[in-house]
Amino acid sequence: MSGRLGLLAGLAAKQVAMRRRQTLVAVSGVAVGVGFFLAVSAMMIGSQADFIRTLIDAAPHIIISDELRSPPPQPGAVAYTGGAIAIRHQKARTEARGLKDWQEILRAVDEVPGAIGSPSLTGGLTLRLGGREEAIALIGVEPDIESKVSTVEDNLRVGRLRDLQTVPGGLIVGEDLAQRMGLQVGDVVGATTAGGARTLRIVGLFKKGRGQLSSASGYVLLREAQSVLGRPFVVNRIGVKLVDPYQSQEVAGRLEKRFGYKAESWQERSADFLSLLVTRNVIMYSVVSAILLVASFGIYTVVSTSVADKVRDIAILRSIGFSEGDLQLVFVIEGVALALIGVVLGWMLGYGLMAILGSLRFPIAGEDQTLPLDRSARQYAVAAAASLLSAVVAAWLPARKASRVDPVDILRSAA
Amino acid sequence: MTAVVEARGLGRTLALEPPVLLVADASFSIMAGSFTSIIGPSGCGKSSLLYLLGLLDRPTQGQLLVDGQDVTGLGGDARARIRLERFGFVFQFHFLLPELTALENVMLPMRRLGRLGNAAVRERAMSLLGDLALGEKVDRLPGQLSGGERQRVAIARALANDPAVILADEPTGSLDSVNSERVLATLHQLAREQARAVICVTHDSSIAASADTCIRMLDGRVVAMG
Ligand SMILES: Nc1ncnc2c1ncn2[C@@H]1O[C@H](COP(=O)(O)OP(=O)(O)OP(=O)(O)O)[C@@H](O)[C@H]1O
Ligand SMILES: [Mg+2]
Repeated sequence: MSGRLGLLAGLAAKQVAMRRRQTLVAVSGVAVGVGFFLAVSAMMIGSQADFIRTLIDAAPHIIISDELRSPPPQPGAVAYTGGAIAIRHQKARTEARGLKDWQEILRAVDEVPGAIGSPSLTGGLTLRLGGREEAIALIGVEPDIESKVSTVEDNLRVGRLRDLQTVPGGLIVGEDLAQRMGLQVGDVVGATTAGGARTLRIVGLFKKGRGQLSSASGYVLLREAQSVLGRPFVVNRIGVKLVDPYQSQEVAGRLEKRFGYKAESWQERSADFLSLLVTRNVIMYSVVSAILLVASFGIYTVVSTSVADKVRDIAILRSIGFSEGDLQLVFVIEGVALALIGVVLGWMLGYGLMAILGSLRFPIAGEDQTLPLDRSARQYAVAAAASLLSAVVAAWLPARKASRVDPVDILRSAA
Repeated sequence: MTAVVEARGLGRTLALEPPVLLVADASFSIMAGSFTSIIGPSGCGKSSLLYLLGLLDRPTQGQLLVDGQDVTGLGGDARARIRLERFGFVFQFHFLLPELTALENVMLPMRRLGRLGNAAVRERAMSLLGDLALGEKVDRLPGQLSGGERQRVAIARALANDPAVILADEPTGSLDSVNSERVLATLHQLAREQARAVICVTHDSSIAASADTCIRMLDGRVVAMG
């Protein structure tokens, strides 16, 4: 069998060697297709991975909050399921919100290997300095734990999260807010809540342009927040960081099922963004497949002219005793051989393009940024597989004609 | 002794409008070691009959037996296999593959059959070409050979797999008298000395006269045998 394949491949190789110019066109078509496939997909996948990393890191992987997705069923309805009575318009108890069993939730989080849970309390607060007032979201955290769970620490321009522990009544706000209120590190500012008023001292500033964080948030110690907001021992949010962020949905589901509180994974939080990425991928793969498809047209052309030029040889081979399948295979091999050469050249082209793209520097926010590129071997394999597959199809269509050549017709017309 | 090839009411009609009759009701047996000629006026169906006998074409009527076995209903691959193992074709125009050298052309059927190793294939091809006085020209492309030389390469290729039957369609048609003699002498030798069945379509009455059996055709029918 391998002898037969070798023989047929040898015959195909003669074809390839004979039609240099056409071969060159077809091969460069595939090479350009593969090269650009690699360059484009490296950029798209690279930037996507970058986006997702940002998404994952932007906030804890899972946020458990004191919200319920659906109100708990009334005890009456539970006790008499399927009863003739439906309870409507009942008056619910107005609970003091907060995660009731937050310590137990934290213990459950700790049971997940490598997972860290950071409890926090968030509430509304008004900062007051001179005549100026700003409403902010006050967030009380345990600095040591919070810095492991979220990237808040990375967003600090001045000070550290730790400083909250050393300065009593320490507060970290954003540069944007500080600018609006004319605050500086070390300044003391008045804070008013529904419960009362007190003073806090600025110990750090978040970088500009970080949205909510730099314009309308303030970080304090968890204990401080509980006392400022008048909700001692209450925690209304737990941020969870996992070792493998892709387990978030599963872990979130489990926690939510167990405790009833809404546990939102980063995937759920950014569902619309992720679906946008899917759309982007669909567009990319259609464009790239179109490139590869066009490349396979070249192969189709070469193989079909080969077949047309070689009907005489096909008849000879058939009379010698080559089968229809043999002849079909000769031309499929011819097409695949062209694609193979094209793929190898395309790999080199793609490698070169990626090297160029990777060397470009973009000054963004004062830092030299490079394009995030995905240069994994997987893309090379995908490009090769896709081109070879389309080459087989592109060669197979005209190769069928070779197997249908009736030797008698050719012999008759040649005589 | 069974016939190598046997035709039983063999016929071929082209399904055109109106239908074209190429061969009708041909019945005869071809024995090993015999030289059979097929003669008749141009267009009487000699080539058509030869294609049927060589399994290149399928009959629309009757049966064809090769080595005593009915091959009429066989599929394409099985027919190709029989052509490869049992038949060798020689046509009026040499029909060599132009990109392959004389030697490579002769090696082709053996390599496809795959019974011999590469060295043995090469050796046999060399000896076949040597027998036909082409030993010096084995590495030439067909374009670099004369008409008579090409036809001898074609004969060597037809003999490559040691076939039982040689089918020749006007093998001397495009050759001068010296080369014709030579090719013909070779074909006779194949029948007599190597016990192959040679079937030769020809216009040449002297060839017909030298044959063991002569099949005379007219309008697709066998009109005389002897
Ligand atoms: N495709 C076709 N359509 C119509 N008629 C055909 C076709 N093929 C062959 N024929 C006819 O069939 C007949 C037999 O052809 P064939 O080639 O067998 O003749 P032949 O005896 O070999 O002639 P020659 O001595 O000229 O080679 C011829 O009359 C030819 O015109
Ligand atoms: Mg003829």
